[in-house]
Amino acid sequence: MSADPLQALASAGKGENTRSLLRFIILALIAGAAIASRLFSVIRFESIIHEFDPWFNFRATKYLVANGFYNFWDWFDDRTWHPLGRVTGGTLYPGLMVTSGIIYHALRALAIPVDIRNICVLLAPAFSGLTAIAAYLLTNEMTPNSSAGLLAALFMGIAPGYISRSVAGSYDNEAIAIFLLVFTFYLWIKALKQGSMLWGALCALFYGYMVASWGGYAFITCLLPLHAFVLICMGRYSTRLYVSYTTWYALGTLASMQIPFVGFLPVKTSEHMPALGIFGFLQLLAFLDYIRSAIPGRQFQTFLWLFAGGTFGLGLLGLVLATSAGVIAPWGGRFYSLWDTSYAKIHIPIIASVSEHQPTAWPAFFFDLNMLIWLFPVGVYLCFQELADEHVFIVVYALFGSYFAGVMVRLMLTLTPVVCVAAAIAVSTLLDTYLSAKSPSPPPAHAADGGEGAGKKAAKAGLKSTTKPVVGIYGLWGKGMMVGAMAVYLLLFVLHCTWVTSNAYSSPSVVLASKMPDGSQHIIDDYREAYQWLRQNTREDAKIMSWWDYGYQIGGMADRPTLVDNNTWNNTHIATVGKAMSSSEEVSYPIMRQHEVDYVLVVFGGLLGYSGDDINKFLWMVRIAEGIWPDEVSERAFFTPRGEYRVDGEATDAMKNSLMYKMSYYNYNNLFPPGQAMDRMRNARLPEVGPTLSTIEEAFTSENWIIRIYKVKDLDNLGRDHMSAAAFDRGSKKKKAAKKRGPRQLRVD
Amino acid sequence: MKTTAVLSALLSVLSLASAASSDKKSSSTSTTLPATFRPPQVFKNANLVHVVSVEKNYVKENINVVIENIDKAAHDEYFVPFTADQLSRLGGVEVKDRKDAAAGPFVAEAAQFDQESDIQYLRIRLPQPLASGAQQTLGISYYLLKAYVPLPAAIKQEEQQFLSYSFSAYCPSAYTTTKQKTEVKFPSTNFPDYTKLPGSGAVQEFPTKQGSKLIYGPFDEKPAGAIQPVSVRFEFNKPVNHVSRLERDIEVSHWGGNVAFEERYALYHRGANLSSLFNRVKWQQSQYYSPTSFALKEMKFPLRVGSEDPYYYDVIGNISTSRFRSNKREALLEIKPRYPIFGGWKFPFTIGWNSDAKNFLRRAAGGGFVLNVPFLEGPRQPEGVEYEQVEVRVILPEGAENVKYQTSIPTTSITSADVEIHKTFLDTIGRTALIIKARNLVDDLRDRELIVSYDLPLMARLRKPLIVFGSSMALLVGALVMGKLEFKFDSRK
Repeated sequence: MSADPLQALASAGKGENTRSLLRFIILALIAGAAIASRLFSVIRFESIIHEFDPWFNFRATKYLVANGFYNFWDWFDDRTWHPLGRVTGGTLYPGLMVTSGIIYHALRALAIPVDIRNICVLLAPAFSGLTAIAAYLLTNEMTPNSSAGLLAALFMGIAPGYISRSVAGSYDNEAIAIFLLVFTFYLWIKALKQGSMLWGALCALFYGYMVASWGGYAFITCLLPLHAFVLICMGRYSTRLYVSYTTWYALGTLASMQIPFVGFLPVKTSEHMPALGIFGFLQLLAFLDYIRSAIPGRQFQTFLWLFAGGTFGLGLLGLVLATSAGVIAPWGGRFYSLWDTSYAKIHIPIIASVSEHQPTAWPAFFFDLNMLIWLFPVGVYLCFQELADEHVFIVVYALFGSYFAGVMVRLMLTLTPVVCVAAAIAVSTLLDTYLSAKSPSPPPAHAADGGEGAGKKAAKAGLKSTTKPVVGIYGLWGKGMMVGAMAVYLLLFVLHCTWVTSNAYSSPSVVLASKMPDGSQHIIDDYREAYQWLRQNTREDAKIMSWWDYGYQIGGMADRPTLVDNNTWNNTHIATVGKAMSSSEEVSYPIMRQHEVDYVLVVFGGLLGYSGDDINKFLWMVRIAEGIWPDEVSERAFFTPRGEYRVDGEATDAMKNSLMYKMSYYNYNNLFPPGQAMDRMRNARLPEVGPTLSTIEEAFTSENWIIRIYKVKDLDNLGRDHMSAAAFDRGSKKKKAAKKRGPRQLRVD
Repeated sequence: MKTTAVLSALLSVLSLASAASSDKKSSSTSTTLPATFRPPQVFKNANLVHVVSVEKNYVKENINVVIENIDKAAHDEYFVPFTADQLSRLGGVEVKDRKDAAAGPFVAEAAQFDQESDIQYLRIRLPQPLASGAQQTLGISYYLLKAYVPLPAAIKQEEQQFLSYSFSAYCPSAYTTTKQKTEVKFPSTNFPDYTKLPGSGAVQEFPTKQGSKLIYGPFDEKPAGAIQPVSVRFEFNKPVNHVSRLERDIEVSHWGGNVAFEERYALYHRGANLSSLFNRVKWQQSQYYSPTSFALKEMKFPLRVGSEDPYYYDVIGNISTSRFRSNKREALLEIKPRYPIFGGWKFPFTIGWNSDAKNFLRRAAGGGFVLNVPFLEGPRQPEGVEYEQVEVRVILPEGAENVKYQTSIPTTSITSADVEIHKTFLDTIGRTALIIKARNLVDDLRDRELIVSYDLPLMARLRKPLIVFGSSMALLVGALVMGKLEFKFDSRK
């Protein structure tokens, strides 16, 4: 609706200059809006790193800033995965940390000493501004109409699907990776359109950056060859394709191999084979193309095609053989779970236990994309209408992206850019059609004499009818309706995005907010209370055992060594912790002693009704432990005979004796009148007598009982085992000793 | 003496404004005492009352002594002995004439003496040499930090905390004392254990108990250096707050019209440790039934009226348990630590706030500026707070020069004062920072002021806006030029 005055303004300026200035201003405003809409959590809470993984990235960034790049590269971290340690420098994607490090040092050089934490917190919003601009550029390659680009930038800027991973404080790889993804695609289209080696090289450069930043780079590695393959199948092989693809692949693969974590994967694993295969196939095609141009002759050509197909087939066969022989690693677990969504649940519970690896529920699409989800097919359809090379890309991307987004919740992220681009094309086409106030200036003579006849003609002409709009809506009323409806949708979209961002994606999850009876905000800060206690009042090298979810936070906030963390590289180690948690004290204590555990940390939501606690995650611990020790841990033992998972008086013995259960409910019943103890999370009335602990003792419990920390007792001074020592301390008599005493005898001097 | 004062003032970047400070300067250049030094027996303590106050978590001692010159010549140096350990924990020494408030400044300082010796001396320089046979009544007051030992050292969290303090019943003196007594003031009437001494004269047994006081004495004549170790054990069911290091930044902004304060505390509880680990159930119940505990639960910072935007955080972020009441009469910042702090527990934190520069800064008659801020603004706790190391940084605007300071904090507590350069936001040459390091301060001194005067030339004030404007203009022009340039390998037309 505002386009009218804009057009007027543009025409007043009469020049490309004014238009580009306007575009610049609008883009700057969109980038500003993208940044601003991500700041809810900073304004509501504080400038804080969110959730779990970002805490590791933050810690790594601090290490990078403090120790320099080379030390970071060679970083062996002995404060995680105790006693194994982790070759952190070689097992992470360094792009994010290096980016913040560079920004940090650049700002220092400009005499703006910003705290590294603030850089980390605000990195994701800043990059989302850049993503909006990248989306503008990408869309501009699709249509000559720059309003589509601006719309795409706007959608990209505020779509909740992307905001979910890029609010301030969500300092994760995705924060910069989505920008790199979109920008690499833009450069790829640019390279492909122009057949330019320069753009191809730039594309490879940003691909390299992407590889350095996020494991999701495989998406590009698979999508670009797929695009090339589809183009070839459509008979669109061209030297442009050859130049751009080979430049990208050669340089990009070299760039990706510079990252220690990736190393030789690009030539060793199946995920990277399509790119290599297409690379070889393109060489072959180029060769044949050359020969075809040199030697005419139909039969020869047929022979050549057969030859090409044969080579391709042979290559594929070789690949299969090499894979089965073990030269090329088969697909990783996460990739299998992309094809078979129940694969992970059966074979790799550790992957399945992460909520973001679950298949997407359908409302999530609407939640994350709102009206874009129904505009998306329209945009893809419009791409089909033109179907130049770049439109094929959008179509391929749309198909590929939709599938993956359906399989895994977190991959909604990779779908969002193409949805934004396609929806922007759709909306701008709609608006362009209905916004031109110029009513039928060429019409009456032709259209008036026989509207029906013209329509028939058009129908006969089939697809070409679209190029000659003989029939149309020219009434201002109809146009107004259409434009008005669109405007309302757009406004609703903004409302929805703001609402979703504010309510669903802006909670740091380290800090919980609740409302006081008078409506004021009350902050539940138990995590940091406990972490700060650990940091200040335990030995510097006190080992903390907790479920792996909290590993990164303990490392980042409490600065203490942990047994397992969110890196999950060693399933056995995690299973060991799972076993310690799910077994009885007699079994757990030796495990903890062997791992030099000083403190055990559990999360308990029973008092507050906090759902993300360890009792709710307990079954995953059991399952993962059972995967390694099927004889010692059994998931079935934690369910009652009727198949219920209970924590109250009717809980199974395995449950009641497990360390996790005891730690969660130890001393809890003392908080209530006798027999009244309630677990508010599970709505269960707990038994009147609480669990007793003999090998560990309560060291700290946070204000709302969310975090409970236990100290592992040292060996008993008198060489007793802890059970009898604790029994002695409680004052229960040893029955044996009582029996041994003989009958009373009268003493006679 | 005047010439040395002028010289030292010229030599150092700092020149100290007041006569008192220049006196201090000149005396500090005096030579080190020889290792064989014994204070000349030229004085006699005619009467001495030693008041030891253990009411707060540091010891405040007051020695009121009538000194008499028994030598033939006039003397102006009076020595007070301390052990080396005591001297390292000694702070806030102040001396005055009990009879004559206008008797001029007494200068007290640790005499440079053999480092190996266990006995060190505090030298008090009288304003006027005391004539032969004349008497003067001195009031010497000082604080001793880290004075107590919790006894028992570990208790349960619901138990009462007891502290013990050891000192000498005879006031340690370098001179013969004719008559003396020592009073110990306790925070409550509950002090179960104390050393008993055989009495003298009418009193059967020392000490005598008066309410919450114990009195050792009066004793008859004791020779120089006589000591009688005693120890007392008393209930102190309050936290023993010890700030091992306080960094206080005061940043003055002329353009912003703002003075920003930031304080970083390394807080430690020196009291009894927990004998069994922290139990939340008992804690929650005790909060309900008997709220007094030796754990530190809350701190109150009465800030200057007009303070605003307070913040409170620690190394892992904001701490939400704080309240700020600000109105025309008060600006009270109440903070709670993340967890109750028991003996042996640490809790480092940072607080900060802003205030209008008008409250602290004014133009001096000579054209410079004068900043008058409190030297120390710690929490006001009933149990007291002690500060082992204090570093006050006054960050003045870029280009400030001719910095002088003066403070009413006892000069013995100040260990160094330097002017350095502090580089921060958009600085080109860096801001002038006055860094004053002090030690062994207590919260009794929290109202002492710090007066800093400096000059700020006009060019220094305009430097930053000019540089920011200039560089952004350069950037703009650069961008324009870059936009006009054509970067292409060939222009196909």
